Amino acid sequence: MGKDFIQKSLKDSLLTGIIALALFGPIVGLRTVAKNEVLVVEPKWFIVLLIVALCAVGRFFINIYSYKKEQRRGEASSLGKIIANFLDEKGAQIAIAAIAFSIIFPFMPFADRYWMDIAIMMLTYIMLGWGLNIVIGLAGLLDLGYVAFYAVGAYSYALFAIHFGWSFWVCLPIAGLFAGMFGILLGFPVLRLRGDYLAIVTLAFGEMIRILLLNWYELTKGPDGLTGIPRPSFFGLPFKRYPDEGVETFHTFFGLEYDPMQRIIFLYYLILVLALITNAFTIKIRRLPVGRAWEALREDEIACKSLGVNPRNTKLTAFAIGAMFGGFAGSFFATRQAFISPESFTFIESAIIVAIVVLGGMGSQTGVVLSTIFLIGLIEVFRDFESYRMVAFGGAMVLIMIFRPRGILAKRKPTITMGK
Amino acid sequence: MNEKLLDVQNLTMKFGGLIAIDNLTFSAKKDHITSIIGPNGAGKTTVFNCLTGFYKATAGSMYLNKDNNKMDLKKFSDFKVAQKAGVARTFQNIRLFPQMSVLENMMVAQHNKLMTASGFSILGLINSKSYLQKEKEAMEISKYWLDIIGLTNRADDNAGDLPYGDQRKLEIVRAMCIEPHLLCLDEPAAGLNAKESAELNKLLKFIKNDKKTGILLIEHDMSVVMGISDHVVVLNYGKKIFEGTASETKNSPEVIEAYLGTED
Repeated sequence: MGKDFIQKSLKDSLLTGIIALALFGPIVGLRTVAKNEVLVVEPKWFIVLLIVALCAVGRFFINIYSYKKEQRRGEASSLGKIIANFLDEKGAQIAIAAIAFSIIFPFMPFADRYWMDIAIMMLTYIMLGWGLNIVIGLAGLLDLGYVAFYAVGAYSYALFAIHFGWSFWVCLPIAGLFAGMFGILLGFPVLRLRGDYLAIVTLAFGEMIRILLLNWYELTKGPDGLTGIPRPSFFGLPFKRYPDEGVETFHTFFGLEYDPMQRIIFLYYLILVLALITNAFTIKIRRLPVGRAWEALREDEIACKSLGVNPRNTKLTAFAIGAMFGGFAGSFFATRQAFISPESFTFIESAIIVAIVVLGGMGSQTGVVLSTIFLIGLIEVFRDFESYRMVAFGGAMVLIMIFRPRGILAKRKPTITMGK
Repeated sequence: MNEKLLDVQNLTMKFGGLIAIDNLTFSAKKDHITSIIGPNGAGKTTVFNCLTGFYKATAGSMYLNKDNNKMDLKKFSDFKVAQKAGVARTFQNIRLFPQMSVLENMMVAQHNKLMTASGFSILGLINSKSYLQKEKEAMEISKYWLDIIGLTNRADDNAGDLPYGDQRKLEIVRAMCIEPHLLCLDEPAAGLNAKESAELNKLLKFIKNDKKTGILLIEHDMSVVMGISDHVVVLNYGKKIFEGTASETKNSPEVIEAYLGTED
């Protein structure tokens, strides 16, 4: 800190003190009191002095604080940047380490039922985030109704499984297909919309699907929800303590003791595999012409048209593929819960998924993972504080926006390089 | 033989009561640089927007002669003009994909051909050899053009980070990546310094002579117009007021009047 600066701050404090004296002197310092039925002015110089001193010293510290902040702004490395650079450089190693950790996670000593449930929930959100990343991060289409596709996936899985008794592996692609079709259905009317208008229509679409599910009682049982959704089986081997006559179960087949955790661990691996497929698919398709066209469309639609890129097909594929992964996640949700109702598919779910994508850094796959861990983890940590949970959630978003305004990981890697 | 590449007859464009283009007839030849000049608001960019499908012309006809195949440009809407008819354009305010790398910009321009090669992504997802081969070829084409404008060493940088002059040149070669028959350039020299303008002239001459691509040029910079135009069309208030070679245009009293006003 320069000598000049100290001198300047001292002058500034002195000035503040003088102004404070001028203001507080008459207001606080002179007081009229009734003495022997006569009003007398009683000076209170000590209090005035205290206030003036507080103002002057306070001013001095404010100066120093803002000076230091100014200095810090000039420095290249803030904590967020250091972390982002680190993740950039060691991206591949960190990804492998994270995948390895998630594979051994169920066998960690601390991984009890509670932790497994949180991990499964996080992975579901990560998968949804990765799915929505295609629509928002790559194609730049702000979709606030993503939960609709999650719901369509969950309900189509549940209905097919309940009414036709088809297994998880048959219903999963069907649910994805249905959700993808709904993606196209949403895509058509919003082709010409952009930005705010697109956001409003997609938001309405999300609500429409929820209200449809709520009122189409014959099919969806409305607010009662669908119960008795078949649990997944391990390639035909159910996870049951007391199976039906003549049915082999997972634990008898492998000669294990029955443990309800076996099903949980299986569910965990199921969502892990689904999420990793989503990730691998997105990474791959981003490098294909259609992926580049998505990003080009996000950058400049008019330029795209002038180069002969079909904006309609490009947008629709983004909506459809994003919705398909939402549908996959939905069917996983249905089989895990064994019960679904429209309650699970409210706007707040869409908002959380959008927050995960935006805070993670639009288009960044690793960013989605980090922001999910941060946001969902925070909600869990604050579970005991009940109504403060949402405050913490909001606070976390504000913090990220202050320190990383473009998301946790904002740097974009080119999809193709010249390769010197 | 040098027949008409572009034939515009009685083109009219009305916005409500405003007549932006009034009964315009002109043609452009292959291996020619045809300039459209005129004072601000004369309707030059509107002509481009009609040609490239961004506007639907109120009346008139526009035909493109593509390999002796007469194509009615009015039949194509926006992106199809570039995709099917091979008319490429650049914009008055540069429209690159700023957050994407220079090379990616060039690859997006080759989208349609790569999309077919990737089997609508299915062959691409399984890394088929035929797709990888096509992708490599597309990169060769990109490199060829980047070499010409001297940007190969910046191929992996974001297009938005390039200096202004380089962005202009990149937009032109990006348009060339769709292998157009007609290249429409909307004020390519705007904001360029003298040296950059000279480089631009060289590039445009190269495209005309070596690539045999017809160029339609809107320009205010007279050093560019006079230096490279084979044919000049002068517009004022949506009407054609003069047509001729560069030197004829320079001495035409109508043109001087349109730009400078009349003597009393």
